[in-house]
Amino acid sequence: MELDFLATVLLSSLSSASILLIATIGLAVVFGLMGVINLAHGEFLMIGAYTALTVTQAGVPYILSIPVAVAVTMAIGAIVEILIISRLYGRLFDTMLATWGLSIVFYQLAVLIFGTVTPGIGMPQYNITIGDYNLAGYPLLMIVVAAAMLFFVFALMTKSVYGMKARASIQMPQMAQAIGIESSRVNTLTFAVGCGLAGFAGAVLLPIVPATPSMGFAFVIKAFLTVVVAGPVTLTGSAITALGLGGGASVTASFMTSVVGDVFFFLITALLLWLYPMGISAKWRRKL
Amino acid sequence: MSISEKLYNNAGLIFPGIAIVLALLLAGQIDPYLAFVATSWVIFGLLGLSLDVVWGRGGLLSLGQTAFYGLGGYFGSVVAINLAPTTGNTLIWALPAGAAFGALAAAALGYIIFYARMGPLQSTILSYTFTLLLWSVTQTFKLNVGEASIGGDNGLSNIPGMVLGFGEGAQTIGPNTAFAAAVVISAILYFFTRWLMRGTFGRIVDCIRIDPEKTELLGYDVRKYQLLNFAYSGALAGLAGALFGLWANYLNPSIFSVQEALLVPIYVLVGGLGTLSGAFLGALAIGGLSFFLGGGAVGGQTTLILGIVLVLLVLFLQNGILGGVGNLWRNTLPDPNEAARNAGAVRIESAVLGEILEDAAKEAGPAKNMGTNEAFKQFGGVIPVNKVTQSFTPGKPYSLIGPNGAGKSSFLKACVGMYKPEGGTVTLGSDDITRAPIFDRVRKGMGVKNQKPQVFGELKVADNLWTAAFARTRDKAKAEEVAAKILDMLGLGGQRDVQASALSHGQQQWLDIGMVLCLAPRVVLLDEPAAGMTNEETRELSSLVRTLAKHTTVVVVEHDMEFVRTLEGHVTVLHQGEVFAEGDIETLRADDRVLDIYLGRSEHV
Repeated sequence: MELDFLATVLLSSLSSASILLIATIGLAVVFGLMGVINLAHGEFLMIGAYTALTVTQAGVPYILSIPVAVAVTMAIGAIVEILIISRLYGRLFDTMLATWGLSIVFYQLAVLIFGTVTPGIGMPQYNITIGDYNLAGYPLLMIVVAAAMLFFVFALMTKSVYGMKARASIQMPQMAQAIGIESSRVNTLTFAVGCGLAGFAGAVLLPIVPATPSMGFAFVIKAFLTVVVAGPVTLTGSAITALGLGGGASVTASFMTSVVGDVFFFLITALLLWLYPMGISAKWRRKL
Repeated sequence: MSISEKLYNNAGLIFPGIAIVLALLLAGQIDPYLAFVATSWVIFGLLGLSLDVVWGRGGLLSLGQTAFYGLGGYFGSVVAINLAPTTGNTLIWALPAGAAFGALAAAALGYIIFYARMGPLQSTILSYTFTLLLWSVTQTFKLNVGEASIGGDNGLSNIPGMVLGFGEGAQTIGPNTAFAAAVVISAILYFFTRWLMRGTFGRIVDCIRIDPEKTELLGYDVRKYQLLNFAYSGALAGLAGALFGLWANYLNPSIFSVQEALLVPIYVLVGGLGTLSGAFLGALAIGGLSFFLGGGAVGGQTTLILGIVLVLLVLFLQNGILGGVGNLWRNTLPDPNEAARNAGAVRIESAVLGEILEDAAKEAGPAKNMGTNEAFKQFGGVIPVNKVTQSFTPGKPYSLIGPNGAGKSSFLKACVGMYKPEGGTVTLGSDDITRAPIFDRVRKGMGVKNQKPQVFGELKVADNLWTAAFARTRDKAKAEEVAAKILDMLGLGGQRDVQASALSHGQQQWLDIGMVLCLAPRVVLLDEPAAGMTNEETRELSSLVRTLAKHTTVVVVEHDMEFVRTLEGHVTVLHQGEVFAEGDIETLRADDRVLDIYLGRSEHV
């Protein structure tokens, strides 16, 4: 096997893994800090993508549409938390069902508003060349974006006052309230941040994954499995899982079909859950 | 018992019965198109029933029911296409094939979920992704099996309709007859499921939902029951799928879609979770609703409305229609938990207890020794059990004491099997049980009472004891007999029909101890049994433990030194995971080193 081919596969797998991580981080934050699985996560991604698309079509430069997408998804996320999630606190499966219902509502609304087919957006096409192979530049940029997102979330959780409060609220809810942290407000913010991250993902991935109403479903399978395999230490766990699983699936897919890649992903997940029924990080001593 | 009470207790038999008769009477009268559509509601009800079995009763929210439904549909239809022409009748081929394939798929997924002991969240997500995976795989999956051709996106067509007759001349039945046939099939399956869930199997499945740990501590192989229940629900879903194939004459990958999967929990929630018949009511309500909305302006937006309905249901109507009505009705009936307030104090008669224990010894064999050899357990840098070698024999109670964090409970958990030791061995009688699963240890004669009272709150007091006794005797009448004896001894005879959750904390402790006694254990392990008991109750407990120790091996972990003194047994002091001192309580009380570690004085810490 040629070295340039190997490097190409490696780089493109790394970028696939990064794309998976970008799509997963928001879910991981919400799960890690609120113990809630947001089954509508994929639809928030879709909302982010459509927002960015609409704003771009209105003439705003693409790069400026990303913050708009984040703002819109954060706002919707905050409303959803206040209206639905906060009423179901402590009822994990009811929360899942409610967000599931929500996901189908968002999906159907997107179909109504945008139709099932939408144009992609034009992106500056630049390629890099390794030996005999050409790689699109934008997907490779996602490696940097994923690292930046990870760094941002880490900094947010460890350095900001909000992050301290959020971590305190999940670890010792009563104690956090006793020292004056209003945990319901922290939760609203956490959920909004998670949705905002999903919106960011949808917007930043728009040049690679065109906006369609059903784009959420395509992402959520892998995102859910990643978070569940990661276990309680959501951030570090998700990063490692996304790298391993996403990269592995991508390698498999590059030798065979993408469906085989999906099946591989599912089987490896089942195997990992067999070995670590509560997630790979269940016995780790770190907390983030 | 009043008529209303009798009716309430048999509501699951009478009302579905009436509904079935009505449906069959109407089958001949209604418009064929309505009959055709209504058939699908019955099929969806069956699919909902399969979820209620695994979620409402088994406690696992499975979002994979449509996967088994779709797989059963495809497989049943392929079999029907190929084999039905030889006999004419399609049902005898499609339905069993669909059920078998659905059960197999569920068993395979369930094996991974239950035998890995996955958490509930992991299980639900895995079942959901299983459905989504099938959705994406079937888009491109192409296969020809004999006459049948599965064409990926294009689906599987030419599925024969329902044919009841046999032979060459058998005709596909009309929509009205098909509706009646679907009703009859569903009725059979509903009544069978109800019978199953009211019987021993259902009782154990209920217990697992309420408290899987306690169920395993009674000696039931929890994973096996969970797997069987999941496979049964897969069979129901698969059969429903096969029926759907015959009804629609066409299947495509959209059967695995999220929109389809979303409907199933809605049916169950609308009707009432755990009621079994509620699934059919939910399917009828939702199906009827979309049928009548169908022609109007909202016609195309059924999915949107259903999504909103699910959110609203979860927020505002947790018990569903049947659950809500049931609660209202029950409030008009005399409260069976009334008796809980009139309970007397427990009085342990040593003679009666001795008799029970001698009976138990006759059936379960003589008392067994339990021992550990260099048992070792580590959590990161903490070593709660550090090479502990102990031997416990019948005759006198053994007490394990020590300050907080000494490793008392961890040692007990290593013996019970909740912690798997990293080194050393644990023996029960002549068996090495170091690696044995918990239920196996219980069957070999271990009886465990944890610190918190573990009772099945939704079950009646008598049923709690019966379930424990049945775990050992595996004989209904015998279990009845054992449970009755223990019930009398505990002085809870007047509360036999009270739900265990209505008992006071102390009474629940006694009930839990009674359940352990029902197991006729050869070794009894008690973790802080006196916690939260009154002085009077502690005295009775002490007498119980001493009597118990004459017949079996007893190990007690305890904080209460006064209680330990009354036991007059052998005492082991644990400190930092190691055996620190041994002897009788008076010697240890005089031992400066023991006082040092208890009081936190520095010399020997």
